[in-house]
Amino acid sequence: MKADDVMDHQPVVARLEDFDPASGDRLERALFNHRPLVVLLCLLATLLLSVAAVRLGLNASFEKTIPARHPFIVAYLEHRADLGGLGNAVRIAVETTGESIFDAGYQDTLRRINDEVYLLPGVDRPFMKSLWTPTTRWTAVTEDGVDGGTVVPEGYDGSPQSLDALRANVERSGEVGQLVAINFRSSVLFVPLLDADPQTGKPLDYRRLSDSLEDIRQRYQSDRIRIHVTGFAKVVGDLIEGLEQVMLFFLLAVVIAGGVVFGYTRCVRSTLLVVACSLVAVVWQFGLLALTGYELDPYSILVPFLVFAIGMSHGAQKMNGIMQDIGRGTHKVVAARYTFRRLFLAGLTALLCDAVGFAVLIIIPIQAIQDLAVIASIGVAVLIFTNLILLPILLSYLGVSPRAAALSLKKDEQDGPERHWLWRTLDLFTRRGWAAAAIVVSAGLAVGGYAVSLDLKVGDLDPGAPELRADSRYNRDSAFMVANYAASSDIFVVMVETPTDRCTSYATLSAVDRLAWSLEQLPGVEATHSMAGLSKLAGVGYNEGNVKWYELIANDSALGSVQNHAPRELFNKGCSLLSLYVYLQDHKADTLARVVAAVEGFAAQNNGPNLRFVLAAGNAGIEAATNIVVHKAMREMLLWVYGAVVVLCWITFRSWRAVLVAVLPLMLTSILCEALMVWLGMGVKVATLPVIALGVGIGVDYALYVLSVMLAHLRQGASLSEAYYRALLFTGRVVMLTGVTLAVAVATWVWSPIKFQADMGILLAFMFLWNMLGALVLLPALACFLLPKASRPAGAATPAPVLAAL
Amino acid sequence: MKIRFPLGRFLAVAVVSIAGAALPGGVRAADADYPVLSQPAIVSPKAAGAAMLGLARAGQRLVAVGERGIILLSDDQGGRWRQARVPVSVSLTAVRFVTERTGWAVGHFGVVLRSDDGGESWVKQLDGVAAARLAEQAASQMAQQGLPEAERLRESSLHLVEEGPDKPFLDLFFANERDGFVIGAYNLIFRTRDGGQSWTPWMSRLENPKGLHLYGVAQGGGGELYIVGEQGLLLRSTDGGERFAALPSPYKGSWFGVLSTGEGSVLAYGLRGSLYRSTDRGESWRAIDTGVASGLGAGLALGDGTLVLASQTGDLLTSRDGGASFQPAAGRKLPVTALAERADGRLAVASLRGVLSLDPPASLDSPLNAPAKGAVR
Repeated sequence: MKADDVMDHQPVVARLEDFDPASGDRLERALFNHRPLVVLLCLLATLLLSVAAVRLGLNASFEKTIPARHPFIVAYLEHRADLGGLGNAVRIAVETTGESIFDAGYQDTLRRINDEVYLLPGVDRPFMKSLWTPTTRWTAVTEDGVDGGTVVPEGYDGSPQSLDALRANVERSGEVGQLVAINFRSSVLFVPLLDADPQTGKPLDYRRLSDSLEDIRQRYQSDRIRIHVTGFAKVVGDLIEGLEQVMLFFLLAVVIAGGVVFGYTRCVRSTLLVVACSLVAVVWQFGLLALTGYELDPYSILVPFLVFAIGMSHGAQKMNGIMQDIGRGTHKVVAARYTFRRLFLAGLTALLCDAVGFAVLIIIPIQAIQDLAVIASIGVAVLIFTNLILLPILLSYLGVSPRAAALSLKKDEQDGPERHWLWRTLDLFTRRGWAAAAIVVSAGLAVGGYAVSLDLKVGDLDPGAPELRADSRYNRDSAFMVANYAASSDIFVVMVETPTDRCTSYATLSAVDRLAWSLEQLPGVEATHSMAGLSKLAGVGYNEGNVKWYELIANDSALGSVQNHAPRELFNKGCSLLSLYVYLQDHKADTLARVVAAVEGFAAQNNGPNLRFVLAAGNAGIEAATNIVVHKAMREMLLWVYGAVVVLCWITFRSWRAVLVAVLPLMLTSILCEALMVWLGMGVKVATLPVIALGVGIGVDYALYVLSVMLAHLRQGASLSEAYYRALLFTGRVVMLTGVTLAVAVATWVWSPIKFQADMGILLAFMFLWNMLGALVLLPALACFLLPKASRPAGAATPAPVLAAL
Repeated sequence: MKIRFPLGRFLAVAVVSIAGAALPGGVRAADADYPVLSQPAIVSPKAAGAAMLGLARAGQRLVAVGERGIILLSDDQGGRWRQARVPVSVSLTAVRFVTERTGWAVGHFGVVLRSDDGGESWVKQLDGVAAARLAEQAASQMAQQGLPEAERLRESSLHLVEEGPDKPFLDLFFANERDGFVIGAYNLIFRTRDGGQSWTPWMSRLENPKGLHLYGVAQGGGGELYIVGEQGLLLRSTDGGERFAALPSPYKGSWFGVLSTGEGSVLAYGLRGSLYRSTDRGESWRAIDTGVASGLGAGLALGDGTLVLASQTGDLLTSRDGGASFQPAAGRKLPVTALAERADGRLAVASLRGVLSLDPPASLDSPLNAPAKGAVR
């Protein structure tokens, strides 16, 4: 009963001298007959690559997460210099816990913070604004013209009189809702940033800036003063900080995975060896990335987890095989060679499947995802060396603890006559009744899941910075800004191109005004801000404040003079570009799509040689472009990944029935994953898109392992139940081990401070577990109906590569 | 430092040459260049919060006019507002009804609209393009007749024709369903005697040599007509509007409006809370202290004789002695643009942020009642 067919060719060889070193294929001989050289080479590689790995940088570039070739982004990047201050500014709200900001103590603190922030490197000083900068002025219209001054009155001394003057100036400054909160209990320092140091040309060090801001926050925050910081630079700083915390999760994953493997093998020596080899894989990966100029970003930093976890599962398999052989009394070197012989090709195929899953992501034109694909592919390639080659060779030196070897054999023996309850349960699914039930339930789940998944949204669905958690410090600060200031955090910018010096002509502005008003009609659009809107107000201001002049006056010279009073965010230096700001209630995909469609429709009717409406800038504009790309890529990517998997399965099995049996459970998982995303309120976005491909790529491993052994036995005439039982014993166990290890390792991401990492963790864990279940339950059930009779013919003339290896 | 909106005059020569080259077709080109004159106002869910510049009562109904051609109607004293059909999308600046069905609204780009169904629908009777053509024709007719005013009218018609139809009408006065005036920027004034079927340029009838903006028009208790405008411009007609003569002005700043109390006294109000009162048909004026720093933009005489003034930052002032003295009343920090008395005696207020209703001025110390930014149907 125990006579495994593969074992027939691998007799127990207790003494190394009895073993024929010329046996095995060429690769095996090349590797195992030069073991010291292989180990030395690997050692050298590890040393060299670990030196290189030290230089691997962490980065959180946002440009990588946006589809750089999408027309919106191309247009945005083209006008980037003219859209200064758009996004790349920090807002620091200084809040008092007292009555109001018109308090000497508060103003003193604000002034000192102002002075410190002003001196920070990277601050675009002339454009910085707060109550204490000279650029913040009030104006009033009188019969003599326009009167004005700085908001902080001359000779301010903190006395009640000067505080009263300050209050009056603030009220007529028009800064309420901008620099000063609507409830007068906080005020903002608006800090525009320079992308590069004008003297050295070095790019802005976001990390350092973020640290300086935290330092200021620490020193000035008290029971009377609270400080809130928002802005792109702060998000980047928080992300980089979050990345460092991610390292902790990596350690956690190492411990968990090691624990799972140890729990399975009960052998310290070999567990350590498997962990070490998997870590070596990660080191190699880091080294290779550093050498090829890649950096880890918040997306790709998760790949080492995956590589490590996949390495652990493959390592466990190798070890399992060697352990069984040693338990039977085979010499450790021979056992290692036997295992290599049996599993190298299977492991290779599985890793190639993973690699395909990753590589398909290259088609998505978003650099962060493409980087992730490359980085993951490198990692998987590295695993072939470390865990399929180095590990068995090291095991051939170290062996396993005799006790563990004996134990593994005993486990096998136990399984023989009296099947384990788990195997008995799973075996039920090879019977027609249970199989039909499993298929019906799965079909029900598929239909239900599909119905739910129709609600799947593209894009981010939560307010604030979607990269970070809703309850993160940053997003609480962001919520504070939204609640207390008349500024939405979701800004969509339409760029309006005109010939030089024509940006304020009536023809231009009236078109902008019409577009703005038509956009304001859309649900989800709160308000707009543009030169057209400002020019209407200026009409009032220039006419002694008489509100009856609230209109865009059709007079180009008058409209042109508004430039002198307009903030630079609305138009560029050469007056050839206007920015129409559209403030949105949220950045949901529907809202963005509506705005995009409306602007495109308007542009189609109104674009001409002297006026072009161009999409899109602002965080919401960029997100709209990303959504469009992601939406398109989602279906495309699934098509490719399933196409690749089907091809791989076909090559392996040479039977369309077997392909169906392998792929249908995966599809169920994909559908349920989408339903889960709907249920958890996650949208398809840059972070979740790769997960779908990774899930399929790694999930097909399981099917390959289980189905290949099943088919081999079926082809030899075994009953389905018997074939399945053999598969469970030989690979099913490891499939379970792999599923649990991978799921637990990625599940640790749930605690990541970076929200999308947590999302990825949840989804991956789900897919790993559900794919495992699919391979163990649905796969035999499908096999029950699709496989038995058809593949009975014993003359399976050309055994597929994997089977040959087994 | 004095900044004035250099509307045209400033660079008249340059604009003339550009306009002359670009707009050979004149009238026809205007439609393409000024789509606001031909595009109907969009019916918008945001209309209730739009900038409303004028307010009037038509019988039981309140009618508010404002930016983008928005006209709002309320049949429940300002509780709910719905948007009327309007053939233009210019900013409308003022509205008056002479009966509960018939009224006029004026606005930018020389627009005059008339309604005969209480504001439900509006017909354009005049716009800047047509006004310029009328002025031009009238000027040449006068020149043929050798009238002395011909030269002045020709000058102003030139401005109108060459600078495009950008001049706004800012106020209006109708004595009845036939006879009325519309007044606006740069001494712009037209008269009709047939309810707006035809309009006559009236620019040459005003003693306004500097061509100052005309901001407000009202009829005094004795039937005399007052027009006030920028830089202290005070005009009065005692011959039913045939001629408007300048009165010596007590104030150099701009008037934003003029209010007749019905008891013979007249109030002129404007920049920086300035308020002057005359009890002798405009011959002499006395300053009234308002205690308000911002411009007074709207005034109203209520049915019970109470006078209400509103500043553009939301101060409300009331007088129960025919304007001899004003007391501050509870206001709200709103850019108030116009006032009207509701059918129930309460005050309705138009502002740059929509229309509100206030408690009756009789109890103005009580706070505002519920804001009427209701759903627009």
